[in-house]
Amino acid sequence: MKKKLLSIILCLCMVLATACAKEEAVSTTGNEGKEEAKVTEAAPKTEEPKAAENFKVYLITMDQMDQHWVNVDAGCKKAVEELGNIDYEWLAPDVKDDAKQIECINNAVAGGADAILLAANGPDAVTSALEEAAGAGVKIIYVDSAAAYPAIQTLATDNQAAGKTAGDEMIKGLQAAGITEGKIGIVNVNAATASCVAREKGFRSAFDGSAFELLETQYGEGDAAKSKDIAANYITSGCVGIFGANEGSTVGIGNAIQESEDTIIGVGFDKSDTILELIKNGYILCTMAQNPDVMGYEGMKTAAKALANEDTGADSVDTGVSVITK
Amino acid sequence: MDKRGKQNVLKRILAIRGMGQVITVTIGFIILCIVFGLVNPIFFSGKNVANLLRQIAPILIIGIGQSYVLITGNIDLSIGSVVGMSCMISATLMTKGVNPLIAILITICCCLAVGVLNGELVSKCKLPPFIATLGTMTIARGIAQIVNNNYNTGSIGEGAKGFRNFFYYGKTAGLYNAIWITLAMWIVFNFILSKTRSGRHIYAIGSNIDAARLSGVNVHSTTIKAYLVSAICACTVGLMTCATTGMGTMDAGNSYEMYAVAASVIGGVSTLGGQGILLGTVIGASIWGVLQNGLQFAGAPVAIRNITIGIIVVVSVLLDVIVRTGKPRKKKMNPVT
Repeated sequence: MKKKLLSIILCLCMVLATACAKEEAVSTTGNEGKEEAKVTEAAPKTEEPKAAENFKVYLITMDQMDQHWVNVDAGCKKAVEELGNIDYEWLAPDVKDDAKQIECINNAVAGGADAILLAANGPDAVTSALEEAAGAGVKIIYVDSAAAYPAIQTLATDNQAAGKTAGDEMIKGLQAAGITEGKIGIVNVNAATASCVAREKGFRSAFDGSAFELLETQYGEGDAAKSKDIAANYITSGCVGIFGANEGSTVGIGNAIQESEDTIIGVGFDKSDTILELIKNGYILCTMAQNPDVMGYEGMKTAAKALANEDTGADSVDTGVSVITK
Repeated sequence: MDKRGKQNVLKRILAIRGMGQVITVTIGFIILCIVFGLVNPIFFSGKNVANLLRQIAPILIIGIGQSYVLITGNIDLSIGSVVGMSCMISATLMTKGVNPLIAILITICCCLAVGVLNGELVSKCKLPPFIATLGTMTIARGIAQIVNNNYNTGSIGEGAKGFRNFFYYGKTAGLYNAIWITLAMWIVFNFILSKTRSGRHIYAIGSNIDAARLSGVNVHSTTIKAYLVSAICACTVGLMTCATTGMGTMDAGNSYEMYAVAASVIGGVSTLGGQGILLGTVIGASIWGVLQNGLQFAGAPVAIRNITIGIIVVVSVLLDVIVRTGKPRKKKMNPVT
């Protein structure tokens, strides 16, 4: 009997809580409207522009580990310094994980975000969280990789084009080494990260009609040790070239090639100290370096423009890649 | 006469606790190898076998650690995070120019501290091991992240070449050093578990903790010992990962605790405690490694590999349960409620 009573009380509490939460959501949207009104009011006064227009902008990346995200963060910080009226914070899950990224988005909204710069883990998983955020008046800008939900602007590497560049570089490298046919291995992160999947697609397209055989893609979760094992297996099965689709994968293939005695052309993606050293020592032919600082910097500028209701320009901006060789 | 002698040896081997499942799983393992060999002959090439052994090495080492803890009737979820911690601490120290040997010593001390903490929480504070090590798992991962201010380290550099060769790349007598290290650890820990008093105590507290206590086993120190073994194993794997990649990665060892449980359980170590031998863990880890390796050569998508591994884990535990329910139940069903 007691248990029944308790469960009824708990149920009631739950219903009340959800009701409260809904009310809260409504009230935040209300606040948001008021704030906008305040901003327009304050603009002609120009007495305390900082207090009135200090916007809260969050950067949410896939994880905190890759140097890539650190560079996006650096770009954001640079823009924040120049703009002066932005409270900026970087949030990221400890590992690449859709659920954890959604939590980050929710936390940012709860923390009073005016704008979010997001590097989406995948196209679909975060859309409903973004819908909620947009409902609360948060402006959304994608950096590095976009989700399916419409945003103000996407600043990213055209990953498919960059992947094709990587493929072309590999073909050139193989030709220079006198190799005209053979197997090519691909070490990717996982099947859900849109940017890396697009790189792979571009990479594969570069080999259309060539005598090379592209093997089944293997996923190393971006873990350099796992990627190394995969690459070593590729080498044992007689691959002449291996492509790494992100930083961890590239370090993995570099270490595996370093160890083998055969001529294997490794082409990677992203830039870090370890990768640069592997290129310098000749274990990796080249890497496609994105320009994450540009994404962060320009993304923050776009956020500022959007918050000031100015024109933000094109829907998507290709921040390009540079091929880094020895 | 000779025949009878052979039969006796066979009987004695079969009489060892947990040998039944080891034999079953070994047969499965051999079949698996033959199938992979038929699909792609490269599987049995010398180069691949050497590589395969080295890929099994880290799984086996953490499997040994987890087996110790499982046999005491507990579990260690912090293993994977301690791997990450060890990798990051050693790499950070080495990038800062610390002598690799000193870096290794400091790393070992830090990891042992986690082992002691686990043991104290479980045996003295009576926390359920699942919760206690879940906590230390997160703490250790946090330490891995904070060591280098939340960044992966850069390359550990040329100065650490000896370190990298010692733990991973170098060869001694034709075999990779990683394999030798694994072999040495297995021999030592197998000896401790099967031939010493500490080993018998570990089985005793796993089979029936009250009976063990009443017959004078120091449950507290035995539990700590098991967690220390687990920590030192995880520490070694972390150093190995650091040597492999030549840098410190904060998510090194991610989900290794589950690999360790899988390797142990496939090899017949019971999650209820008191049962299993380290020979089983070898087979368990080998099956895991062979699947990773063989399915890549077979050109199978990764999803197939995950499904296969999951099925093997479930089936091997199911085998264990079926074998046990065939016998009279000695273990108390639910001492808590």
